[in-house]
Amino acid sequence: MAPIRAVDKVAKNTYRIRLYAPGIAQNCYAGNFVNILVPRCSEILWRRPFSIHQSDSYQGTIDILFSAIGRGTKVLKDLRPGDMLDVLGPLGNRFSYPPGLKEAIIVAGGLGIAVFPFVLQSLKFLQGKRTLFYGAQTKDNFCGIDDLRDLATEMHLCTDDGSQGEKGLMTDVLEKYLSADSERDGRELYVCGPTPMMKRIQALALTYGFSAQVSVENKMACGFGACVGCPVTIAHPKPDGKKYWLACRDGPVFPLSEIVFDD
Amino acid sequence: MIDLSVQIGSLTLCNPVLVASGTFGYADEFESLIDFAALGGIITKTVTLEMRPGNPPPRVVETPAGMLNSIGLPNLGVAGFIAEKMPFLRTVSTKVIVNVAGKTEEEFAEVVARLEDVQGIDAYELNYSCPNVKEGGLSFSVNPAMAERVTVLVRRQTRKPVIAKLTPNVTSIGDIGRAVQNGGADAVSAINTLVGMAVDVRTRRPKIATITGGLSGPAIKPVALAKVYELCKAVSIPIIGIGGIMNADDALEFLMVGAKAVQVGTANFIDPAAAVKVVTGIRAFCEQQELQSITQVIGSIELSEDVWPDKGNMNNERATITCTNHGRSKGDGRQAAN
Repeated sequence: MAPIRAVDKVAKNTYRIRLYAPGIAQNCYAGNFVNILVPRCSEILWRRPFSIHQSDSYQGTIDILFSAIGRGTKVLKDLRPGDMLDVLGPLGNRFSYPPGLKEAIIVAGGLGIAVFPFVLQSLKFLQGKRTLFYGAQTKDNFCGIDDLRDLATEMHLCTDDGSQGEKGLMTDVLEKYLSADSERDGRELYVCGPTPMMKRIQALALTYGFSAQVSVENKMACGFGACVGCPVTIAHPKPDGKKYWLACRDGPVFPLSEIVFDD
Repeated sequence: MIDLSVQIGSLTLCNPVLVASGTFGYADEFESLIDFAALGGIITKTVTLEMRPGNPPPRVVETPAGMLNSIGLPNLGVAGFIAEKMPFLRTVSTKVIVNVAGKTEEEFAEVVARLEDVQGIDAYELNYSCPNVKEGGLSFSVNPAMAERVTVLVRRQTRKPVIAKLTPNVTSIGDIGRAVQNGGADAVSAINTLVGMAVDVRTRRPKIATITGGLSGPAIKPVALAKVYELCKAVSIPIIGIGGIMNADDALEFLMVGAKAVQVGTANFIDPAAAVKVVTGIRAFCEQQELQSITQVIGSIELSEDVWPDKGNMNNERATITCTNHGRSKGDGRQAAN
């Protein structure tokens, strides 16, 4: 059982829980997730999966970030420091950093930002640019902008209503950026966000010839491959007849060009 | 020392707790999470003759105290299973029961025939009750004659114990139980999932890609217990109880009704150690009750001869009932509650 160290409201209806879980904190990588049992709530059967938002192996803590929209997250947001959580993890695969990476172009839509502070932290140990594109509905939805500014070398903010950063679709801002420089070697896209955004970036990556990694989320009953309930459709099915990967075991990080987003 | 061992045909289990097919993969997923030796046995995910990719997403949805699934039996096929999954299964220090299915009656027998010379398999469970596949699936176990024929064909291929897994989606599970007993099954396991459905009211679409799926979890336990009770009266071969077992008390209910063993299913998803905890809890119960053997629990339910209450004694005079949370209550709810 992992004791909660802090529960903080970090944006509109968005919360960050810091857990003391040294076994996970010392063994996890950016992209991994944890599966958390919602306490004191017998009608909720499944655990709830959360990306590891940030990890501190010295303090032995991990953070998760979530919006309180479902039954499970509404219970979690009301927990207090000292409350205990049953946490399974670290689960899933991780983002990879190709040798000779010169620029990580990180693209986060809404709560998709949850996976990226840990990615940016990991990238700090590598040379190169860390360019962050972060889009949200309004400025009230942005999470941890000050920390992100420290972690990224360049940041582009974008809101639907123009309340902060550029107004309009983040993918349009991204397209301008991707088309501006013909250099492709050593530049990799890291993507997480709503499905329409990921679909659009899939098209942009193809058009402009960028390699991209995406973190997906999916409904899952277990998180470790036993229920086989979280298939991700493979874009180019394998000769052995395999049509699906599992989000929990084969992912949640996939090559963006290799998966199909279901509606 | 309490003797937890049970006998299922010629198969001896060190305790009555198995893990259900389709909830435990091929055990490798659980390698770092639990001690297999603590389990009575492992039942593998279904193996079919040919490789199957499984159903499109969404495959699972959470429902009140349960879940619906429509996974569609993805597996490597029998050859892939033998090559890629058996090497690990041979290393686990518990009984290994391979769950098999076929699109036709003959295919069940063929899969078993292909597995018969493979080292490390202790028994078979026949899955002719999967509600989520187009061909075969449920049809084999809603029809007593077909269920019996499948069992007969498989029986010819093996002397290892054969367990027939039954569906609750029938008028009389007792009839199916009797049919597979006649066909030569050594045991029956019940129940597989109940056909169920859920709708997303915002998109107006089913929450499962195949529209309906199989309901499992705590929600189905009362149904499962009633079906096991019905089977107890219908067959003389051992019954393995399945359905919503989350803890030792749940398992004990099945054993008391008459199941000789149980399978823990959906609970494995939520707590990988759920089945091990069930074993621990059953042992603690026996200690507390000062029992020497689990056989003192099996079938120990106390049933009154006089099952139906005497209706003549029921008191029909009732106080007026008020519900204080009624949205358009005529009176003042709080006052009425006082």
